[in-house]
Amino acid sequence: MLLHYLDLSWRSFKRTPLVSMLMVLAIAIGIGVTMTSLSVYHMMSADPIPEKSNQLYTVQLQIMDDGNTWWTKDNLPSQLTYQDAVNLQNAPIPEHKIAMMRSGFSVHIDSDIIKPFIGEARLTTPDFFSLFNLSFIYGGSWSSQQEQTAASVVVISEKLNDKLFAGKNSVGKVIYLDDLSYEVVGVIAHWQLTTKYYDLNNGAFNEPEELFLPFSLVKANEVVTWGNTNGWKHENTRTFADKLQSEKVWIQFWALLSDAKQKQAYADYLLAYMQEQQKLGRFKRKVLEYKLRDVNQWMQYNNVVSEDNKILVGLSFMFLAVCLANILGLLLAKFLRRAPEVGVRRALGASKRQVFLQHLVEVAMLGALGGLLGIVIAQVGLLAVRQSYSYYESLATMDITMLLSAPIIAITTCIVAGLYPAWLVCKTNPAIYLKSQ
Amino acid sequence: MLKMNNISKLYQTEMVQTHALRDFNLHVDEGEFIAVTGPSGSGKTTFLNIAGMLEPFSSGEYLLDGIDVGKLNDNQRADCRNQKIGFIFQGFNLIPDLNLYENIEVPLRYRGIKASERKRRIEQCLEQVGLASRAKHLPQQLSGGQQQRVAIARALAGEPRFLLADEPTGNLDSLMARQVMELLEQINRDGATIIMVTHDPELARRAPRNIQVVDGQLADFTLYQGAQNLKNVAGA
Repeated sequence: MLLHYLDLSWRSFKRTPLVSMLMVLAIAIGIGVTMTSLSVYHMMSADPIPEKSNQLYTVQLQIMDDGNTWWTKDNLPSQLTYQDAVNLQNAPIPEHKIAMMRSGFSVHIDSDIIKPFIGEARLTTPDFFSLFNLSFIYGGSWSSQQEQTAASVVVISEKLNDKLFAGKNSVGKVIYLDDLSYEVVGVIAHWQLTTKYYDLNNGAFNEPEELFLPFSLVKANEVVTWGNTNGWKHENTRTFADKLQSEKVWIQFWALLSDAKQKQAYADYLLAYMQEQQKLGRFKRKVLEYKLRDVNQWMQYNNVVSEDNKILVGLSFMFLAVCLANILGLLLAKFLRRAPEVGVRRALGASKRQVFLQHLVEVAMLGALGGLLGIVIAQVGLLAVRQSYSYYESLATMDITMLLSAPIIAITTCIVAGLYPAWLVCKTNPAIYLKSQ
Repeated sequence: MLKMNNISKLYQTEMVQTHALRDFNLHVDEGEFIAVTGPSGSGKTTFLNIAGMLEPFSSGEYLLDGIDVGKLNDNQRADCRNQKIGFIFQGFNLIPDLNLYENIEVPLRYRGIKASERKRRIEQCLEQVGLASRAKHLPQQLSGGQQQRVAIARALAGEPRFLLADEPTGNLDSLMARQVMELLEQINRDGATIIMVTHDPELARRAPRNIQVVDGQLADFTLYQGAQNLKNVAGA
């Protein structure tokens, strides 16, 4: 019977092509606009590393003396001081942890063709690659020994490798960052990242860096940060060494804590660490505070998906509702005009339920067609978004979830809009129309 | 086969109450061919709609084939209508988008009959009404008489025991009306019970049993006929 209803729906579509196309177009525009904003929202709020997002924790320590305030919602600084980062990096637990900061260099190689350019870099510890699930197409990470000795080594992105070395294996090759030479030890495969969750300081949706160097080079080469540096008290930081010893925060720190037991052990360790530091004259506070936030909590804490985005999604759904209100009107007109035919069908044995289902199948078909056309409109919308802002490159896309959602949302909303007209037409008294036809 | 006891139908608005049928009593035996006549607005069509379960009645008892229609819900009434009753309307009421084959198929689909059986019945019915070669035609490609024959074929396809015809020849010329009437007589001879509402006295006379509906009630035929004669005399 479903196939028969589909056949009848298609005939009905062909019988009133203009009205039907208008309805499909209205649904498509509503779905197109909704899916454009919903897709961006979906990509923004999506878990960027679902396999271990509940095992990766960022560390926050309350370094301020009593009486000082920070601008975050819980008064905690979002980054660590260099000295805390180094101390925690050298701590016995957990086994895997990362200290890091963002920087950048003038990049060049021994080539007449490739001109020097500015490249963004991340100075980090070797666990960075395994903890954030990065894979290598050539070579690998630097060793712990190279980390400790601040070796002049670098891992580059696939894109940079394509640019500098035409995609060939560049392990062992030398590149120059500012005035110093570095040996390439690895090339990571393309890193498809929707949200730059590991460092949200300078834009949650920026591209990952192209150069990765040992964190120990920060001190060895006095590498300046390209990220944020924040302080809470006056400190004399005329030299780089002053900054390293200061209470300014500018280092991000992540730890892999696989279960609740590990998390509790590390929490205890952080508390003990702060108590130890108090003896050295730091953390002048009555109550010591720290926070471990996993990836999703961290994104929420930093308002990665802003209220504006949520409002935009809400508005687009309201626009869809307006489109559906129009469709409801058109459906009413179309279905009630068909009341005489329904009267005949009822006289010939159709139950109200069968008439109701027939009309719901028809609105579902309109919804499906509108949904498919809506995907095309959404793709155009997303293309426009991508071309407007470069950082939307990986965000303004429809993944498979959104592609499947579009027709489902279209069909569901159309059925909701069609319930009243279908109910109205199925409860018409057939006797009225049989005589008057 | 059909028993109506004290059936009343009341149409009620805020301002006025109208009794379309009032204490209507009728017994119809299996295989009968009844012509229902009466002035316009007398309740003939209301009677036919109630008989066909297209309209509920306000009070009374209606038994069709022993089934108490008043106790059936909407789905049961639809099923009962589909199984037992065939309709023929004055305006044919064919669905314009469907060809003849598909129009006849409509009641069979609602009954859930398999495609092969549907095909057999449709071809047989089209043959019976003399339109076998036009199965793929749309209704608007046929004359009025042919359309009514299709409507009859549609009513017959469900192999109903009970055929309700509301002015089946009202939109046809006399030649076509005669052909349709002959077809109905043949169907009756084959065993179907037929109730036909008509304004045409010639057609009514061809039916073995005539009933008159006046003011929502079955009229005493003799009294009614006498009153008509008096009116004719006075008019003359």
